[in-house]
Amino acid sequence: MEQVKSLNNFISEVKGKSEFYENVVDTDTNIKVSDDSQVFHYRICKNVKNTLKVSLGKNSVYQLITLVLGDAEIGVDIDMKGENSSCKSDVVYVEGKNGKATISTFLQHNAKRTKSSQLIKGVAFEDGKADFLGRIYVPYNKKEIEASQQHRALLLSKNALVKAVPMLEIYSDDVKCAHGSAIGSLDQEQLYYMKTRGVDALEAHKILTYAFLNEVCEGILSDDLKNTWEILIQECLGQNV
Amino acid sequence: MSAFLEIKDLYVNAGEKEILKGLSLSINRGEIHVVVGPNGAGKSTLSNVLCGNELYKVISGNIDFNGENLLPISVEDRARRGIFLSFQSPVEISGISMSTFMKYALNSHRKFKGLEPLDAISFAKHLKIRAKALGISDEMLKRPVNVNCSGGEKKRLEIFQMAVLEPELCILDEMDSGMDVDAVKIASNGVNIMKDSKRSFLIISHNNDFLYEQIKPDYVHVLVNGKIVKTGSKDLLLDIKKSGFSQFQKEI
Repeated sequence: MEQVKSLNNFISEVKGKSEFYENVVDTDTNIKVSDDSQVFHYRICKNVKNTLKVSLGKNSVYQLITLVLGDAEIGVDIDMKGENSSCKSDVVYVEGKNGKATISTFLQHNAKRTKSSQLIKGVAFEDGKADFLGRIYVPYNKKEIEASQQHRALLLSKNALVKAVPMLEIYSDDVKCAHGSAIGSLDQEQLYYMKTRGVDALEAHKILTYAFLNEVCEGILSDDLKNTWEILIQECLGQNV
Repeated sequence: MSAFLEIKDLYVNAGEKEILKGLSLSINRGEIHVVVGPNGAGKSTLSNVLCGNELYKVISGNIDFNGENLLPISVEDRARRGIFLSFQSPVEISGISMSTFMKYALNSHRKFKGLEPLDAISFAKHLKIRAKALGISDEMLKRPVNVNCSGGEKKRLEIFQMAVLEPELCILDEMDSGMDVDAVKIASNGVNIMKDSKRSFLIISHNNDFLYEQIKPDYVHVLVNGKIVKTGSKDLLLDIKKSGFSQFQKEI
């Protein structure tokens, strides 16, 4: 498998099976995934403004996981142009003091038998803020479409604020679509369960917060990258959970 | 000298509702006690109060554990002092595996005892021996805590956690519910293996047969309407099997 460390200002066609790691900068990124190709794409977006545009050829698979930290304005625009193409666009965000994430995703099912799934999970503490706008578009007469979008956020303090707006524009009548959003605090039953095993309250908070985000990170194929992300997330959470 | 666990005249509310109404119970080291009773008698309240669940409020009465007043002690400190609850409905936690969870739990027990954390190899060994004895695969330990587990698997994992943490007072809430015959056998084997002269068990159950044949308790208590109304030997279970709880309900 081809591995490219950086993909900054990358405008090109990708063929075959590839894995990309990217420390995102302010220049927008464009990717064209060729027919029958598979791309795994991991992006760290810290204090940046960036829009990613991806178009998918026939039978192609595109899996994107984005980590959003600090002040960031991130757009993800995926055009499923080719029949039978599929994409996964997962996001983890952690927002603390003076941090604000604006995340807009736009997934277009422009061909029949296209599939998309999105799992967006985030934590906000102190006065951290996040706005998530999740747009899914299915035009008229596109058959056998599947789309799912789930957003979950944890608010760890009174001044933290998360807004989520799912926007589904569906003009076809052959669509399976599921979406949901939930914003809340840590599950008291899970906390109690951990404490009955002797884990102290503060540590249980930390473990549960990390476990909450880890559901997304588990999708990363490389263990090294998983560790890098874990360190970044732990640093960002710091003593605040 | 007071018993290992000494509950005296305990009154407990859940919300505004009075659940335990003057419950007294004492358990010595090495004994197996069973509490049976009809639904709503307060059995699960008793196990949660012993663990320090804040949803239950102690109105009056005492609980002494190992010569110490248990009531002001936090949930996690009670656990580290050796109280373990096997949940009736174990909680699912995604994003953390059972083995990682046990690493945190075991090391926090060790820290409390002034011991160093176990190194990776010793920890893996500690887990493996116990998993094997309880028919738990490596794959089950890698799963997120209790996620994608059947009712029986969850209960087996509760017994596994008990074996890993080696508590001194093991409370098993409805340990046989949701388990098939084989799983109940594995779980009761777990209890029998762990039984020793220092460790005590408080088992809460509906199923008299399995208790009578496989656990062989030292004492059986009947809990009705928030109070222990009768205490006897394991033969009391046979009596209950024959005539039910109504005979005791008349006594109050």
